Amino acid sequence: MDFRRNLIWYLFLAPAVIMLLMFMALPLIQSLELAFFEWNGLRPREYVALENFEDLFDDRFFWGALRHTLIFAVFSTVGTVGIGLLLAMAISRRVRGAALYRFIFYLPVMLPMAVTAALWVRMYEQNFGMLNVMLRSIGLAHLEGTWIASRETALGSVIAVAVWQFSGFPMIILLAGIESIPEDLHEAASLDGINEAQRIRYLTLPLIRPVLISISVLQFIFSLKVFDLVWVMTLGGPAESTSVLGTFLYKEAFRKQEYGYASAVAVVMFAVIFTVTYVYQRLMRVEAVEF
Amino acid sequence: MIPERKTIASILRRAPGILVAVLLIFWAIVQLYPILYMFMTSVKTDKQILNAPFALPDPLKLENYILVWQGDRVAQPFSTFFLNSSIITLGSLAILLFVAGLAGYSLARGRFPGNAATQQGFLLTLAVPVHVLIIPMYFFMGDLGLRNSHIGMMLVYATLGLPFTIILMRAYFLSFPRELEESALLDGCSRFGAFIRVVAPVSRGAIASMAIINISWIWSELLFALVLLDQQGVRTLPLAVAGYRPASMTSESVLGQQFAIMSLTALPLFVFYFLFQQQIRKGMTAGALR
Repeated sequence: MDFRRNLIWYLFLAPAVIMLLMFMALPLIQSLELAFFEWNGLRPREYVALENFEDLFDDRFFWGALRHTLIFAVFSTVGTVGIGLLLAMAISRRVRGAALYRFIFYLPVMLPMAVTAALWVRMYEQNFGMLNVMLRSIGLAHLEGTWIASRETALGSVIAVAVWQFSGFPMIILLAGIESIPEDLHEAASLDGINEAQRIRYLTLPLIRPVLISISVLQFIFSLKVFDLVWVMTLGGPAESTSVLGTFLYKEAFRKQEYGYASAVAVVMFAVIFTVTYVYQRLMRVEAVEF
Repeated sequence: MIPERKTIASILRRAPGILVAVLLIFWAIVQLYPILYMFMTSVKTDKQILNAPFALPDPLKLENYILVWQGDRVAQPFSTFFLNSSIITLGSLAILLFVAGLAGYSLARGRFPGNAATQQGFLLTLAVPVHVLIIPMYFFMGDLGLRNSHIGMMLVYATLGLPFTIILMRAYFLSFPRELEESALLDGCSRFGAFIRVVAPVSRGAIASMAIINISWIWSELLFALVLLDQQGVRTLPLAVAGYRPASMTSESVLGQQFAIMSLTALPLFVFYFLFQQQIRKGMTAGALR
C-alpha cells in the first residue's frame, strides 16, 4: 500500500535515475573494468591484471602529464583567485563605474573555451601575434617571446590564458561575499579609527575566509579537469611540455587506440578528482538531507 | 602655502583610490582588448590584419562572415555547425529541464524510502570527472547507434547537467507553496497533471534560471563532441573552431575567416550575457557547487 502511494514519486524520479545509470554509472564501471585489460578496440580484449598500472607508473610521459596538471591547477587557481580577490576588493570600494567593471570582468568567462584558446593562439603568434606586436611597438622588443611555441614558456603561457579567462568567476563570488558583510561592522571599524589596510586585514579577509577557501577548492578541482584550452592551443606540445592528464588520456585512447592503458589513466584521474571533491563536499557539509 | 599643502595632503589621502582606479582600468583593458580585437579582425581583410593590426577596419567588410556562413574554403558551411549547435543545445536543455524538474519535485515533496539515499547518490555523481566516461561512452554510444547523432549528444549533455540541476530544483521546490498543487489535485488532476499544468508554469522563473546556468557550458562543450561526433555534417561550433588550424599566420589567406568563425561562436553567448547578466552572475554563484 505504501509503495503504491509512493509509486508516482518513483516514476517522477525514474527518468533521471535511468539516465544517470546509463550515461554515468555504467561508463564509469566499464572504465574501471577496462583498465585491467589490453584492448585496441578491434581484437578481443585481453586480461592483463595490473600491467597497465605498472606500465603507467613507469611512463615518464604520464608523470609529466600529472606534473603539468598539478602545476596548471595550482598556478591557475592562485592566479584567478588572487586577481579575483583584488578586483572584488577594488570594486567593493564603490568606485565609479562599478557595474561596468563587473560586466567587463565577467565577459571572458562567457567565451567558449575553444574560442579563447583559438584566439590566444593568434595573440601568441611570433611574428604577427598581437602580444609580440604590442611589445615591439612600445619599445619592449627584448621581452618578445615564442610563448606557446617553445617548451620553456608553453605551459606558463597556457596558464596565463586560463587566468585571463576565469578571474572574473572568483571575483563575482568573492564580491558577493564582501557585500554580505553587514554595514554596521564597517561603521564600527571606522569609528574605532581603523585605516583601510587594517580594515582589510582584520575585518574583510577574516569574514570572507570561508568563501575564499571554497572558491579556491572549486577552482582547483575545475582546473584539474583542464582539456579544451590545452587541446586547442598546443595539443599537449611542443614536445609534450603542456601535456595534461586530460589530453594524455585522449591521445592514448583516440590517437594510439590503447583503450586499456588510457582507462588506467582515467582511473587515476578519477581517484584524484573524486577524492578531492568528496573531501571538499564533506568539509563544506553540502546539505543534501533535511528531513 | 597653506592651499598647496592641502592639495598634497589630499592627493596622499586619495592615493589608494587612484591606485585602485588604475588597477581596474588596466585590468579592464587586458580583459576587453583581445575580445575587441577578435571582433575587429573578423571584419578586416587579411592584408589589413597583417599590416595594420591596430587600425580600425576600413572599409568594414562582412565578406568573411558571408564566406564562412556559406562554406567557402572551409569544408562545411558554417551554417551547418551553427544549426547543429543550436539544435543540440536547445534539445539538451529541454530534456534536462523536464527530467530535472520532475526529479527535483519528487525529492522535495515525496516522503518515500530511498529519498535521502538518492540525494546522496546525486551528490556523489557531482564528483565524477567526465573524462573518465569518454572511452566506454565512445563504444557503447556506437553500439546504440547514438554516435554522430543529435539525440545521442542531447542525452549525454542532459545527463551531465542533471546532478546539480536536480539539487537546485529540489531546493527551489522545498519553498514552493503546497496550496496550489493541492487545489489542482482536488479538482481531479493527477500528480503529473498538476505538475505540468500548475507547478511548472508557476515555476517558470526558476526553470529559466536553470536554463541560464546550463546553456553556456552546453554551447561550449568540446570533449564529448570531439569523441562522439566524428562526421563533418553533425559537428558543433566548438569543434569547428578547434578544427580550424591552418599552418602559420603568414602562409595563409583565410585569417579573417577564422576570426569570423570565432566571433560567430562567441556571439550568441555574448548577446545572451547582455540580456541576462544579473541572472547569469547570480546563477553562477548558486551553480558554483558544480
